[in-house]
Amino acid sequence: MYGKDILRISRRKVLAGTGAALAAGPLSAALHVPKSWAQAKTLRIAAGEADGATGTMDPALSTADPDAARISLVFERLVVLDDTFSAAPQLATSWETNDKGDEWTFKLKDGVKFHDGEAFTAKHVIYTFKRLLDPKTASPGASSMSAIDPEGITALDDLTVRFKLKAATVEFPALIANRFTYILREGQPESELRTAGIGTGPFKVKHFVPGEDVSTYVKNENYWRPGLPKVDAVELRAIPEESARLAAIQSGQIDLVWDLGRAGVEDLKKNADIKVVTTRSPFVLTMSCWADTPPFDDVRVRQAMKYVVDREQMLQLVLRGYGNIGDDNPVAPWVQYALQVETRARDIEKAKALLAEAGHPDGIDIELYTSETTPGFIEMATLYQAMASEADIRVKLNKAPSNDYWSAVWLKQPFVCSSWSGRGADDALAAPYLSTSDWNETHWKRPEFDAFINEARATTDVAKRTELYQKAQQLLRDDGGAIISMFPDALGATRANVSGWKLHPQQSTKDFSEVEIG
Amino acid sequence: MALISLLAVSAIIFWCVELLPGDAAERILGRNATPESLALLREKLHLNLSAGERYLRWLSALLSGDLGTSIVADRPVLDYISSRIANTALLSGFALLLYIPVSIALGVITAIYRGKMIDHAISAIVIVFMCLPEFVIGILLISIFAIKLAWLPPLALIGQAQSFGQLIQLIALPTVTIVAAMSAYAVRMMRESLIEVLESSYVLMARLKGLPTWRVLLFHALPNALGPAINITALNVAWMIGGVVVVEAVFEFPGIGRLMVDSISHKDVPVILAISMVMTGAYIATNLVADILVILLNPKLR
Repeated sequence: MYGKDILRISRRKVLAGTGAALAAGPLSAALHVPKSWAQAKTLRIAAGEADGATGTMDPALSTADPDAARISLVFERLVVLDDTFSAAPQLATSWETNDKGDEWTFKLKDGVKFHDGEAFTAKHVIYTFKRLLDPKTASPGASSMSAIDPEGITALDDLTVRFKLKAATVEFPALIANRFTYILREGQPESELRTAGIGTGPFKVKHFVPGEDVSTYVKNENYWRPGLPKVDAVELRAIPEESARLAAIQSGQIDLVWDLGRAGVEDLKKNADIKVVTTRSPFVLTMSCWADTPPFDDVRVRQAMKYVVDREQMLQLVLRGYGNIGDDNPVAPWVQYALQVETRARDIEKAKALLAEAGHPDGIDIELYTSETTPGFIEMATLYQAMASEADIRVKLNKAPSNDYWSAVWLKQPFVCSSWSGRGADDALAAPYLSTSDWNETHWKRPEFDAFINEARATTDVAKRTELYQKAQQLLRDDGGAIISMFPDALGATRANVSGWKLHPQQSTKDFSEVEIG
Repeated sequence: MALISLLAVSAIIFWCVELLPGDAAERILGRNATPESLALLREKLHLNLSAGERYLRWLSALLSGDLGTSIVADRPVLDYISSRIANTALLSGFALLLYIPVSIALGVITAIYRGKMIDHAISAIVIVFMCLPEFVIGILLISIFAIKLAWLPPLALIGQAQSFGQLIQLIALPTVTIVAAMSAYAVRMMRESLIEVLESSYVLMARLKGLPTWRVLLFHALPNALGPAINITALNVAWMIGGVVVVEAVFEFPGIGRLMVDSISHKDVPVILAISMVMTGAYIATNLVADILVILLNPKLR
């Protein structure tokens, strides 16, 4: 024990050390970070979806949410959708069609300039659409716009473009208001489109390298809408970790986020430094089964699976009330052409009877794939399992990894959780349920349904068109393989000093031109 | 020897990635994929070549000093990973700067006050940090120092730093998290070996010669007690270079670990291989440095 004796440090020395440590206290006060952590007029926004090496700002190839944000900072479209998914002008001032609806003429806005000074004219529109439809571009958006004949896009004069379509499409202006149709500058080399696009939008790219954590944009001084944009610069990054994203906006390291989990919202609402922004959205959360695969190939089984759902409870427990009830119809009730009927109520007895009629008196055993890829999937699947068990529908849950859910599970397994961003009626019905669609996730193929949609697209009379779209919805609701119980609201938040921001129900539309700080 | 290890690691990693389902084209296009767009993209990315051919292409390019091109980000791998390596080196550097004095000091204090209150207190805290996963420590630190007290920014978004002072503030919380997770073993190790050394007769001899306490401690006892702690430190540094991915995720730090995870989920093979080469190299290098240090400190091994 000598060692210990020898090395005893006197009490006085310890006290002196403690004193020094206490004196260091005020130092920590000097470290105090100003609450805003902000420089003037730079808007710092954070996406919730990861933005890694796949990032791009080429509109034809955009897939992720951060891509959509980048693109709408820099580019603009001929037509945009308003809150109810009706077409509204942006770079086009007006449009008209012939009697059949297969020839559309757009008048373009005069005096708009690209970031490099080039005047915006018809040739840029023609270039953009031809490139988008060219199979060499391999745009995932091309198939949804296959009605356009690439050779039939012509300039009548510098500010008038005509589209000739292969098939009549009454909703054509709304059809081209999607994430792929932002107008590019003709003559810009293909190699620059991914990282340094030139558009007509409110901001110019300053720095974007795929896989680096932040991309920056500066104000377009010659923007055509007077007085806009209201901030000098934008910084965009992705913060996929939910808790990190919440911490960042609470501390003011970030000014604006556009997707929030339900769990964090209540806390943010109590925080005086934060404004929570919500908007009603027809975003679809669905559980989809293959209507050509047993046991789902019997319509009575599909109906039984729909009757077990307590939709109000789904809304309250999965979405904490931030959303609207769905009725197995992807067109939300407030969207144009929506079918207005009473929502299917929960009826366990009826579900049991339907199952017995279909030859399953002891119920059925089915497997439901779910994943964390879309917020709400896990909760929806778990709750469905509990609700369905009361009607002897025994659901086995299979939780798949989220990073390849859309390539390895979706469209590959017979009963899966799925989601569709908010769309207008035609797109919401056609993309997942038309028998010719690449994304027919329910294998539900009904010639009558296809006929309703195609006829509606060629019908210029609004009342008749509405009726046709509604017939299609009725058929899908009663017979289809999709259990759509809710439409989650879009949720976002800004710091309290940020104003002028609206969340758009079309997820890929992100307009930051009117956002103001301070 | 080191070169053979590197080669073996690259081959093993390559085949492991091959075993993962799906390919980069599917991961890039995600749910918007159509059969036509997939086929075109596969051709563009040379994914239609056989796995063996792709590995040999990569290897022969490497031998001529070319790390290849990231198939997902479409930019040279070297350019792509170097900024991330620099970031990780920065974080690791700060963490080491803090870790070494903290570990030695706590190790010395617990050894000297063995069995006293202060030893028990420090040992208990150290063991708690040892047991807590880094993300728990990280989130705890964020909620206390960033949200409650608002002293420090919660995320290490180092791109926001305008000055060295701001950089320190941004990087403070992840640094402390790493040090908390890393110091535990080293402190325990320091304590054990120092106790042993302090009880040896040459320390008594030194004391009997009338040397002051600090001299005995610094020049006689410490060098001999450091050996095991240095080996632990080497392992820690290797872990820090590759394994701080959890810390990087919690603090949104743009480091090499997260790039590795992203690259694996996109099946971006050239990037995965390049990063594993860097990590393996770092592992070999730190162990080498540790061995040399131990030899320098211990005359018996020279």
